[in-house]
Amino acid sequence: MTILAHRDYRAGDRYHADVIVVGTGAGGGVVGTELAELGHDVLFVEEGGYHPTSSFNPYLTESLPRLYRDAGGTIIMGRPPIPYAEGRCVGGGTVVNGGMTWRPPEKVLQDWQDLTGCPDLGPRAMERLFDRVESRIHAKPQRPESIGQDSRLLEEGARRLGWRYDQNRRAQDRCAGSNQCLTGCPTGAKQSTLLSYLPMAFARGARCLTEVRVDRLWIERGRCIGVIGKAINPRTRQADMEIRVHGKAVVIACGAVQTPFLLQRHKLGRPSRQLGKNFLCHPNAKVVALYPHDIHAWQGVSQAGQIREFRDEGILIAENAVPPGTAAAQIPFLGQEAFDLMKRYNAMAMTGVLVEDSHAGTVTRSFGAPMAKYSITRYDHERFLRGVRHLATLHFEMGADEVILPFSNFHLAKSVDDLSRIESTQRSRSTIELFTVHMMGTCRMGVEPRSSIVNLDGEVWDLPGCYVADASLFPTAVGVNPQVTIMALATRVAERLTLRN
Amino acid sequence: MVLIPVLERHPDDGWTLAVPMTVSPRMRRLLLKLADAILPDRPRTDATLDTVIDHALVSLQYMPRSSARTFLLGTQVLNWLPLLRFRGLRPLTALPKDTARRHLVAATKSKWLPVRVLMYGPLGLFMSSYFDQDYVHRELDYAPKPFVEERIQLRRKWLEESDG
Repeated sequence: MTILAHRDYRAGDRYHADVIVVGTGAGGGVVGTELAELGHDVLFVEEGGYHPTSSFNPYLTESLPRLYRDAGGTIIMGRPPIPYAEGRCVGGGTVVNGGMTWRPPEKVLQDWQDLTGCPDLGPRAMERLFDRVESRIHAKPQRPESIGQDSRLLEEGARRLGWRYDQNRRAQDRCAGSNQCLTGCPTGAKQSTLLSYLPMAFARGARCLTEVRVDRLWIERGRCIGVIGKAINPRTRQADMEIRVHGKAVVIACGAVQTPFLLQRHKLGRPSRQLGKNFLCHPNAKVVALYPHDIHAWQGVSQAGQIREFRDEGILIAENAVPPGTAAAQIPFLGQEAFDLMKRYNAMAMTGVLVEDSHAGTVTRSFGAPMAKYSITRYDHERFLRGVRHLATLHFEMGADEVILPFSNFHLAKSVDDLSRIESTQRSRSTIELFTVHMMGTCRMGVEPRSSIVNLDGEVWDLPGCYVADASLFPTAVGVNPQVTIMALATRVAERLTLRN
Repeated sequence: MVLIPVLERHPDDGWTLAVPMTVSPRMRRLLLKLADAILPDRPRTDATLDTVIDHALVSLQYMPRSSARTFLLGTQVLNWLPLLRFRGLRPLTALPKDTARRHLVAATKSKWLPVRVLMYGPLGLFMSSYFDQDYVHRELDYAPKPFVEERIQLRRKWLEESDG
């Protein structure tokens, strides 16, 4: 297994491979592995470090800097601003996500087929790809012993209210419910690409350069022939050595924010002017309920299921227990008041409402960094208010004392009657507090260069040899956790990638 | 073969945390003041504020330079919150902790979105660090390490059963 880090590099180092894959998450990890299995010499380039399962611990102060982009401190500007989190380590987002494996609804794939005119993206044709991905990441429901009280509470609440509740199928092999998905699964159960795909690639001779940030593409005679990056010193965080990697094809899989950011440096996507547009992000609102008894939400798998009663309206409801550090950063109190509330951490049910995007934002370059902009629409806002009300109602039905709402001017509901104030107090879209982890759609694929960034093979229209294989390919939002859709599209890109000497 | 994690802080896996970002003594005083006002008074140790500030400065190293500078600029604006709120002429650094906290609480509830946004960074960084300390975990009756160890053993048992 060849995984190099900053200490292994020398200034001016050059590497060569058949295919260079930038990123090792749900897109990069899959496309690189599939290509390695086809017999290609694959070289991954990853900005983050290599952290094996044996190094994971439950402490945020270490997990955030080592596993997350910008130590978890990234934000989408807009009304309201939306903090977001994405992985930056070998395995990318799959190391720190919940591992949910929902396929997109059939209607979404039908829309993709209709939009692109390509039957390959339709529900029937994609089934084969989903089957392959799901078998490789062991997508299946949780064992009952791994499910915690907070998930059971949500399921029981849904049953009482007559709502549909579906078990999640997750990328896991005998998950014991340690609830450490966000800080790297320490049991080795979660089948991130770190444990599922990448070992297969390394077994086929693939190599990985870690701690290298790719900051431009290597273009000659109008064709992409490699990438140029800087090795980042892990102590000083300075980019101190240039690294060049030459290859026959380059696959960019850095996620829906970083991928367009890299391509924008070369002013690509000119035919359509769509590069960085169509930014989608499935915003979430957090609803925390305080129960009169302990439920120990941190014991048991995170998000065993979802309430899908309102799926047709684009609303999903689920629990998502987070460590105290993350919970405290989201509650609306300071000082001793915050501590008094956090003293009830064991009695908290941390839940959320996800709303499917009804419009799109943008990603642009600004002062050397990507700038994501996105504002929710009035329609989204209405759905959030409805979703929050549904979820808070469920908590009161289940006996919660208080519910902390995601509104800066109305934080605490003490009874179901208080919920009637939601509509009257929430006239502005600025007062809702959101976050997200699902970024998509900034290099959409399509059949013609005037309306898309990449063709149906994943190749950038105006840069031969350069491919995209991540969530930025999505023509529209998927409305569910996007991991398996990214993996399925990455598999398809690998199958269709052709190398030119 | 998956190695069993030791679950300790900062395991020796060849990976290094960045050194804290260098800031002026004046900026450090401001960060200490903000952390003192934002964090709970109890429980704390003598090192609490320094630990939290160091974590914040380490985290800034992982951000793009422009983001880190924006964070520091934002704290300087927060320092003049009393003036911005027409509630006084002295900065937070010159005020008693409780008074400074009242101004910061008002900022989190402000009608003006940009003022609330100023609080995102300090709240996120300081709270996530403070509530990640062992002595705080004990007060919350939150003990992830023994629980995770038990779950690792449970999974190992399942693996052995299926192997058998």
